[in-house]
Amino acid sequence: MTSRPIGKDVPRVDGWAKATGAALYTDDLSLPGMLHGALLRSPVPHARIAHLDTRRAAALPGVKAVVVGSDLPAVKYGNWRLVPTTQDELALARGRVRFVGDEVAAVAAVDRDTAEEALALIRVEYEPLPAVFDLDAAMAAGAPVLHEATPDNVSVTRKIAFGDLEAGFGASDYVREDTFTVQAVSHAYLEPCATLAQADDLGRITLWTSTQTPYIVQCLLASTLGLRENEVRVVKPAVGGGFGGKMELRPWDVCAAFIARRTGKPVKFALSREEELATGRRRHPMRLRSRVGFKRDGTLMAKDLQVLLEGGAYNSMGPTATFLVGNFGAMLYRYPAYRYAGAHVYTNHAPAGAMRGFGAPQALFATETQMNMAAEALGIDPIELRLKNAMRPGDEIPDVATVGTCGFAECLERVAEMSGWREKRRRGPGTGGGKGLGIGCYSFITGGVFNWFNTPYPFSAAEVRAYADGTVHLLTMASDIGQGSDTVLQQILAEELGIRMQDVQMTAGDTAMTPKGDLGTWGSRVTLMAGNAVLEAARQVKEELARMVSLRFDLNVVQEVELKDGMVRSKFRPDRGIPFAEAVAMAQKANRGKPVVGRGTYTPRDMGLVTPTFSFGAQVAEVDVDRETGVTRVTKVYTAHDCGTVLNPMAVDGQVHGCIQMGMGYALSEELVMRDGKTVNASFLDYKMPGALDMPECEAVCVETHDPRGPFGAKETGEGPISATAPAIADAVWHASGYRATGLPITAEKLLAALDGDDSIAGERRAEASCAIPDPRPRG
Amino acid sequence: MSLCKFAYHGPETLDEVLALLAEHGPAARVMAGGTDLVVKMSRGQVAPAVVIGLKRVPGLGDLRFDPVHGLELGCMTRVSDVLEHPAVAAHYPALAEAAQATATVQIRNMATIAGNLCNASPCADNAPTLIARGASVELRSPRGSRTLPLAELFRGPGQTVLAPDELLLCITVPPPRAATGFAYLSLSQRSAVDVSAVGVAAGLTLADGRVAEARIVLGAVAPTPFVATAAADALRGQRPADEAFPAAGDAPAEACSPLGDVRASAGYRRKMVAVLVRRALERATARALADGRARTARPAEVTP
Ligand SMILES: Cc1cc2nc3c(=O)[nH]c(=O)nc-3n(C[C@H](O)[C@H](O)[C@H](O)COP(=O)(O)OP(=O)(O)OC[C@H]3O[C@@H](n4cnc5c(N)ncnc54)[C@H](O)[C@@H]3O)c2cc1C
Repeated sequence: MTSRPIGKDVPRVDGWAKATGAALYTDDLSLPGMLHGALLRSPVPHARIAHLDTRRAAALPGVKAVVVGSDLPAVKYGNWRLVPTTQDELALARGRVRFVGDEVAAVAAVDRDTAEEALALIRVEYEPLPAVFDLDAAMAAGAPVLHEATPDNVSVTRKIAFGDLEAGFGASDYVREDTFTVQAVSHAYLEPCATLAQADDLGRITLWTSTQTPYIVQCLLASTLGLRENEVRVVKPAVGGGFGGKMELRPWDVCAAFIARRTGKPVKFALSREEELATGRRRHPMRLRSRVGFKRDGTLMAKDLQVLLEGGAYNSMGPTATFLVGNFGAMLYRYPAYRYAGAHVYTNHAPAGAMRGFGAPQALFATETQMNMAAEALGIDPIELRLKNAMRPGDEIPDVATVGTCGFAECLERVAEMSGWREKRRRGPGTGGGKGLGIGCYSFITGGVFNWFNTPYPFSAAEVRAYADGTVHLLTMASDIGQGSDTVLQQILAEELGIRMQDVQMTAGDTAMTPKGDLGTWGSRVTLMAGNAVLEAARQVKEELARMVSLRFDLNVVQEVELKDGMVRSKFRPDRGIPFAEAVAMAQKANRGKPVVGRGTYTPRDMGLVTPTFSFGAQVAEVDVDRETGVTRVTKVYTAHDCGTVLNPMAVDGQVHGCIQMGMGYALSEELVMRDGKTVNASFLDYKMPGALDMPECEAVCVETHDPRGPFGAKETGEGPISATAPAIADAVWHASGYRATGLPITAEKLLAALDGDDSIAGERRAEASCAIPDPRPRG
Repeated sequence: MSLCKFAYHGPETLDEVLALLAEHGPAARVMAGGTDLVVKMSRGQVAPAVVIGLKRVPGLGDLRFDPVHGLELGCMTRVSDVLEHPAVAAHYPALAEAAQATATVQIRNMATIAGNLCNASPCADNAPTLIARGASVELRSPRGSRTLPLAELFRGPGQTVLAPDELLLCITVPPPRAATGFAYLSLSQRSAVDVSAVGVAAGLTLADGRVAEARIVLGAVAPTPFVATAAADALRGQRPADEAFPAAGDAPAEACSPLGDVRASAGYRRKMVAVLVRRALERATARALADGRARTARPAEVTP
């Protein structure tokens, strides 16, 4: 294998183990004497718990513990540690449940069957409270209140504003206002959540859990149990996907740890698919009202965006979503004036959380669809309209963010070429015999600079230990949850030290064994942030070894030492060098045995409010609409994207494909269908996630930029493209059929109804729906 | 999810199977591929005390074809066996279409046609075509054997006329006929791995360029596979035009009784019946016309 892995199709370091089933996920782990847990969940959307009797369950042979809310410390938790008033969750309900699935009690028993049998023996008397299931009901005067501290059910509001909005609209020749709605969808990660807790004789906890954020789980678990942070050790085993749904402390983590401490036995909880779909986190449904003004020639003048986020029963990551949707609303194009107001609204549904693209899929479905509608009205080709307004390198969102590298305009040109856009799009809508193509674009953050968790540690850290046998060990808390970051971080290290991939070993995602800290996997942050930390650590090792070779060969001080092909040598006189292993041995001896170790950290500073750097891209989807059945098949997707410098083309391709798959489900078929607070389609039979056989042909090119803030020039690629897919497909459906969707998903039935002129089924009567945020009511 | 406790038997002869069925009666379930049974057991929808596996009984999986007797599918014939068999491809393309519409490769390698029928889901993909094709089933118990037209097997969702001690032994499909074509079309939201919201089998025999006989059977739009006899009979004597039978789907769409659920509304299902019936007839017509005898000669005997 090459010793220059950067830029190559390096296969996943964990690929073999995962493909053969050897990889160990949390639910594969088992400890002697381990108990199995199960959770009792509320069957009603909103109620007071009048009476709770666990005696029969506790008496069932094999049951070792039954825990209810009053057994646990009354410590609320939530990821927004920076603003404690947003922390509104308890692991188990105390006196009140707020959604169907809210956790009420936990049982641990000698096996899973016994635990489930015990659940059935717990008697709960619910006194129903009126419930609210949509934005309007939740915000109506006199609506039932979910949390007393939030009497208007609006838990978070955020604003962004720059430029002179009035002047912008005043000078516009063409102004349009549209309302868009997007639905709740599931992360549908293949591995349902699972957790395994073990307590030592002092009550300290080791928790193996399926998480994207070991450090966050460590801190919040400690706080809920009254322990000090480092009395909890969180270990992340192999994780089967997260997509934002596994970045918080969850009730089963708390229950497992609590029961492990109480019983002295290890305790495991493993959720079922049905639990995940019916009660798990989801992408925020939103209603977005957008007003935008253009000059006759297509120049953007102003945008006014109001967004209501349906948050469900608790805040979860809602505060961040409420900000980000406004940030993404200002991306992609140069808006001389922009105003955003967003509000996060509680309802009696399972809470929404972070999900791939976080705020962008919703914001950009609105932005991009509206651009396409405006292009149609102005008689300008949608790609030309975008090129006229596209963000360029160095652009700013005043007081919020600065755009560094930006290949957006080139992405637009490339995707137009690849797809034969100018030729194919000339046809009018609905004239292509059911065929059509459409465009959507994206921009996304490469890691967040925000510190809502209020960590006092670096955002990412790495330690590199070099050994005299030629191997190195990389330690980092960064968490590969399937996206491939372990591979990329090892590539970065091997490249910098001039060694081979197989010379690198890695320990990751263990809060006791890996250097503090790491905020986890979210916001497409790992390659940039942990990557930079790895680079810094590697450079310290490199410096140390270079010193040895300089000494050994008495190199002139102007001579550069390079680490390449397993050698440490003069770049100018390659014959003057020694193998990496030998250089490490020398350094150790020269330091009286002290190991060769490098330590690196990364914390973004002075980079605005959002991110170190943004990715960009443009996507064209081709579809075939069956006019008689309403079925849309996506036949081809072209993507041109700027993810900085490509570190691993195969990994980048995988991310783009994954984004297309998820974006396609968002566009056409996925939706958690709710009725009276219950999820109607809580199984993969009826939750219509596209499968491998539904995938269109995908063609992607990278418009490479070199971002000085990324390791080797890299930016993100794991989340951005997902936001382009739904608007591109929706636009293609318009081109194919003449129907312009402003709501998702565009199911066959909805599309057919719309084409047949039946608006009631298509749900297009929302034009009058308000996105106004009511004046805050006094807080209790 | 926990399975109920049950005893598993793996008999090696048909007689042993029948003896076990006689002994345990309603407490027992036979298991073919298990792709329905195990799912239902783990959901607690059925809780048999005894499970009788069929896979060790030799010969039950045989698929036989000859031009005189037609096609015979033993009860352990897998969906993938049907899909891959050259005789099915040559003479029963609609059966292959239905098999193709069933689940995924992995499931098809386990799932049996008989299991698909005995499970009696209204949306079972293999029932409509087999019924349209005039298939019959042989039911065997220690008390003896009886043979029924397949359509008579079904009583309601999940319910058949099988007695507790009865085994569906084999499925027989009449031999292919001249100037005859069948087709199966289904509709679901995903292109694969999905339950059909609507399934339509249609077939016809042409004589002198006109419909001598037609069959239309619908899946997923009634408690049991729905045989649209009147609509099919109405086609008799018609001559397929460029767009064959533009309104042929309207009557079956009226006559069926679909439910609305999270997969599709009743109204949408009805509309789709109309579309799919027409399309299936078009495809069936093309197949029939591929046989030169369709236009000229009187086709062979027309009764099933
Ligand atoms: C992921 C997935 C996707 C699926 N997709 C589809 C699909 O697209 N279309 C579709 O139609 N189905 C689908 N199915 C359902 C299922 O796979 C089929 O119905 C399959 O053909 C059942 O066959 P089996 O051999 O597995 O039956 P089993 O599960 O073994 O048996 C089913 C029932 O029939 C009874 N039974 C079986 N054989 C006999 C016999 N010889 N005599 C008497 N009783 C018998 C059993 O006791 C049981 O009650 C899907 C299932 C899964 C899990």
